Amino acid sequence: MRRTLNHIVIGVLALGLLTWPVAAQQKKLSLLTWNIPIYKEKIEGWIADFKKIHPDVTVEWFDKKGPEWGPFYQTQVVAGTAPDIIDTQGAIWLEYAANGGLVDITPYLQRDPSLKDYYNPRFLQTWVYEGKNYMVPFYVSKTLLFYNKTMLKEAGIARPPQTFDELLDAARKMTKGEKSGLMTLNFDWLYWPLLAMNGVELLTPDLKKAAFNTPAAVKTVEALAQATADGTINKIAWTGRWVEPNNAFASGTVGLYQAHAPAFFYVRGGGPWVNGDTLGATQMPGGFAVPNSHGLGISKSSKYPDLAWEFIKLATSEKWAYTFGKNFKLFTGTRVDSRLMEELQKEDPLAASVMKTQLEQVDKLVATWPLGKDAQIKEAFYSEFQAAVLGRKPAAAALAEAKRKVDRLLAR
Amino acid sequence: MQSWSPFKPSTFAGLTHYQELFFYDEVFWKSLWNTVVFMSSSPIAIGLALALALLVDTRIRGRGVYRAIIFISYPLMTVAVGIIWRWLYDEKVGLINYVLLSLHLTQRRIAFLDSYEWAMPSVVVAAVWQIVGFFMVILLAGLQNIPPNLEEAAALDGASAGQRFRHITLPLLRPAIFLCLMIGVINSFTSFDLIYVMTGGGPNYATEVLITYIYRVAFVLSKFDYAAALTIVLFVFLLIVTAVANRLTGGEAGAVDAAE
Repeated sequence: MRRTLNHIVIGVLALGLLTWPVAAQQKKLSLLTWNIPIYKEKIEGWIADFKKIHPDVTVEWFDKKGPEWGPFYQTQVVAGTAPDIIDTQGAIWLEYAANGGLVDITPYLQRDPSLKDYYNPRFLQTWVYEGKNYMVPFYVSKTLLFYNKTMLKEAGIARPPQTFDELLDAARKMTKGEKSGLMTLNFDWLYWPLLAMNGVELLTPDLKKAAFNTPAAVKTVEALAQATADGTINKIAWTGRWVEPNNAFASGTVGLYQAHAPAFFYVRGGGPWVNGDTLGATQMPGGFAVPNSHGLGISKSSKYPDLAWEFIKLATSEKWAYTFGKNFKLFTGTRVDSRLMEELQKEDPLAASVMKTQLEQVDKLVATWPLGKDAQIKEAFYSEFQAAVLGRKPAAAALAEAKRKVDRLLAR
Repeated sequence: MQSWSPFKPSTFAGLTHYQELFFYDEVFWKSLWNTVVFMSSSPIAIGLALALALLVDTRIRGRGVYRAIIFISYPLMTVAVGIIWRWLYDEKVGLINYVLLSLHLTQRRIAFLDSYEWAMPSVVVAAVWQIVGFFMVILLAGLQNIPPNLEEAAALDGASAGQRFRHITLPLLRPAIFLCLMIGVINSFTSFDLIYVMTGGGPNYATEVLITYIYRVAFVLSKFDYAAALTIVLFVFLLIVTAVANRLTGGEAGAVDAAE
């Protein structure tokens, strides 16, 4: 019995010793993307290209839909198996960066001269927290104003609105029966241009106190509430997420629609009326826009941050950035965007007219506050703002309450 | 009692989270109230299920088919139920708006799931629709377990149908009703998927219940420690509701008599 046991132990040890060099050589990276299972073939292309340079590295890829992404990543962090490379959207990364969950990639960017001017500096800037870069652009978009040319024409409006007052006036003229004049996407901070164009600031320059409780803000919110009450602004603007506002605009019963560029493809797919003669795209009055981009970053727990950075460089390289942009008709926040734009103009002029707005006035990006508590502040502000625009609370009371909540969060 | 996030080790926080929850968090109170309102769908569903059970317990033709039709909503996936009802309630293409407009019961389309007034009742209707078939089966089993000689004896003594129902059927159905009530209460506490799919807790927390709020706090706001405190409150609340329901149904309702 003892002899048999000895043989088993020796056998196991020998097997361990034999396989040890192989296991030690094989490094593993994991990649988590945000709802792009459709891009499987190309991501396998990234991995194949990476494998050619680093044959000793295995890359495992996961993809999660938007609502599942956060819970999945956070549970993986807790389990100690956070994916090395993450593709994330909006301002979620800020929470992670502020809590030390992401690798500061500034040294990598500085070290590599080939990257100088490769990433669009304004979009790159949106991934900076306390002076450190935590992500690089994967694909970028920002808000713009879509307009239904037919409805504008019927209302006798010659050009898209240039100011907030013109925006509401034009919307009011187009509102009739089933038709409403204006709608906006509201998730994240996408509605903020409506406040920015009226000079409203969310926070003081030092980001320590709320700065939005001003007469100008009260007047703006009152005007939005009035327009919502009389049907000028479709209520879906304040209640729907993405699908509902897009469906409403695609139905052809909304005159002006503030949304980010990817909404165009959904609207075109669902709106048979959409063509070059009926749909226009321009900047919001004042040129203000909120970015809604995706970036690639590295989890702090990664065992191989250098390799993870190499992978990110490859995934956002000219070859793969171009492939991505071409595939989805989106921009990548890199040097290849101008080439993508030129080709889009020839192949799909309507999409090009929309996408053109994405490369213009990038100096007017707003709602990019580098706040570690972005999600909580967003929730505190929007819950009160929403109550006001939907007529549940007077604007002044709602903004005062929002200020109290935001200040309390910032003080903690 | 701890401050914790996925990125940081936990530290002792005392009762900070409970202080925040009870004294500063309006959404907690709103979601607690909504949970109570949502719970009220259980008695409605039980009442409806009892009426249906009594109907399909009679000797009507094709009662097996009726039972199957009524029960069929229960095995459906809750997410599918949510999507079906979202479509039915849709402002632009929803069947309910179409019917209301066709019958001239309303002049304007109603954004059922996007309005403060309609969102919660709309979700309650969907919840009742899904559970009513299951309750009916439980109550039907209860009805069929009542010895027929009791009813016959009461009828011979001159008791009316209403008196027989009130003094014989209803008391003997008490364990089944209690079971339905408990299932309904637990369901309303855990009914995350239906609300998440139909309204996401909105508009402006109009349909936010404790369970959806816990999810939002944990996975949207990344306040896992606070979400844990909310979960403790939910557990205590559930205990209280169970104790009250047990007391209301006679204290021993649902208990199995081992001597039988």
